[in-house]
Amino acid sequence: LQELADELALVDVIEDKLKGEMMDLQHGGLFLRTPKIVADKDYSCTANSKVVVVTAGARQQEGESRLNLVQRNVNIFKFIIPNIVKYSPNCIILVVSNPVDILTYVAWKLSGFPRNRVIGSGCNLDSARFRYLMGERLNLHPSSCHGWVIGEHGDSSVPVWSGVNVAGVSLKNLNPDMGTDKDKENWKEVHKQVVESAYEVIKLKGYTSWAIGMSVADLVETILKNLRKVHPVSTMVQGMHGVKDEVFLSIPCVLSSSGLSDVVKMTLKSDEEEQLRKSADTLWGIQKELKL
Amino acid sequence: MATVQEKLITPITGGASEGPRNKVTVVGVGQVGMACAISILLRELPDELALVDVVEDRLKGEMMDLQHGSLFLKTPKIIADADYAVTAGSRIVIVTAGVRQQEGESRLNLVQRNVNIFKHIIPQIVKHSPNCILVVVSNPVDIMTYVTWKLSGLPKHRVIGSGCNLDSARFRYLMAEKLSVHPTSFHGWILGEHGDSSVPVWSGANVAGVNLQTLNPDIGTDQDKEGWKETHKMVVDSAYEVIKLKGYTNWAIGMSVADLTESLTKNLSRIHPVSTMVKGMYGINEDVYLSLPCVLNNSGVSSVINMTLNAEEVAKLKKSADTLWGIQKDLKDL
Repeated sequence: LQELADELALVDVIEDKLKGEMMDLQHGGLFLRTPKIVADKDYSCTANSKVVVVTAGARQQEGESRLNLVQRNVNIFKFIIPNIVKYSPNCIILVVSNPVDILTYVAWKLSGFPRNRVIGSGCNLDSARFRYLMGERLNLHPSSCHGWVIGEHGDSSVPVWSGVNVAGVSLKNLNPDMGTDKDKENWKEVHKQVVESAYEVIKLKGYTSWAIGMSVADLVETILKNLRKVHPVSTMVQGMHGVKDEVFLSIPCVLSSSGLSDVVKMTLKSDEEEQLRKSADTLWGIQKELKL
Repeated sequence: MATVQEKLITPITGGASEGPRNKVTVVGVGQVGMACAISILLRELPDELALVDVVEDRLKGEMMDLQHGSLFLKTPKIIADADYAVTAGSRIVIVTAGVRQQEGESRLNLVQRNVNIFKHIIPQIVKHSPNCILVVVSNPVDIMTYVTWKLSGLPKHRVIGSGCNLDSARFRYLMAEKLSVHPTSFHGWILGEHGDSSVPVWSGANVAGVNLQTLNPDIGTDQDKEGWKETHKMVVDSAYEVIKLKGYTNWAIGMSVADLTESLTKNLSRIHPVSTMVKGMYGINEDVYLSLPCVLNNSGVSSVINMTLNAEEVAKLKKSADTLWGIQKDLKDL
């Protein structure tokens, strides 16, 4: 519906459902600007893709954290990633499956791609949720509310309060307690709601789909149209903000048709950097045990 | 101590903003309802979207999931409630509620079950949005549109069934595939009952105004060596096939409903094959709804195109009308 692709390929292991979904989309061909929609269990149908979005894998059950899913999903990726690379050796891989930061690392390792071509959807959705909630509080459209959530996509994501602004007016200057426990307006609650969002929606409808789908389309648009927009996505952050290991975390990145072309150097407070390093340590703790 | 909002923003217009101008409500947040909702949102049609259903958890979860995508949308208000008050002031109300076809089940089987659900839904919609246009999607759509018309008391031009909009879209997709053109460049209409007895109007099928029946007079008949009739059969079988493979259909119907919604909200006066009250046309004497090419704009069905149909096509329409009336006359308490 965002009219981004001139060809869409779907792959899965469940062949019936795959074919049914493909047919259902094809039947809407009159209303679309994507003339070719194909699907197959065999990865040859993915040949020559510019972008490959990976959503495969087990999903969080009610109450389950993303980190629990790791080993299950690593095994699935060991089959998927080499197949993708074989048929689209020049593609950009966009990983969505959770835990996204770890799985982006896994995809990077398994693909052998340079790090600019393996990106995790990361905190693009967290930041979108943050901006939506901020917009609700201020009675403004989310696109006019600026705020970045970085780091781990999950329970320990980092809201960068110093950057939160509307029309360039820093909210933290208006309210120096913002983001702390002393804040009478309790803006910290906004970030807490972002972290809990997924769990809440899962509890209510069983899974989340629409918001993440729209946020992925947003990333794909920037990549395919070579827009060079800045998005908080998961990339290799070794050497930045004091992180020493090969971990993937979300930071503001410039995306273009070559994938991740640049990174924005944020000036973070020492406690924000500390949180990033702590996430990095947690993620590395899990990654070093993985059998790849 | 002033809040961040007060320090940041100086209000100019006091009081609440005006009500929505293009509010759309979707009744039923199953797969079809949500596909309609997301298609309508991504086409940037409404300034407010309301969702209604009876299953409150799922309803709230779906609403939240859409709201979380607000950054990427142009619809500033997305609300949901089991209470129909949330639908007040809607211009368009899309009804997808009801039970759906099981594998192998025909649409006509669902009737009485869905009539009972509609008896609860329709009066509430009309109560809160007396000036709306109702678009009925629930199957069997032609009968349910009749039921909705009866229960709503609205004039017939404001009660529309999604009807053969999807069948025609599928037909155009399949024919275009065979001819290697885009579906928008193949023109063909499927009319009548949305279901097993829909009528493909072969005399109108054309590309760039070149009439296919003139090129192949046997088109659509059993004598046709090229077997074009098969394409219509595939359209009829489509829904069953997708249901068999993935359990339900939703994307194509969602996109086709968004297409109708666009014509209605933007006052386009485009022609769509949708289900409308056809009494008095083609020798039909009962109150039945069947799909004909209708001009849709912000008043609803503003006019109907008089198709030139051959005797066989008219007979099929009449037969559908008879079948539908046979079921409708037995419906209780409308």
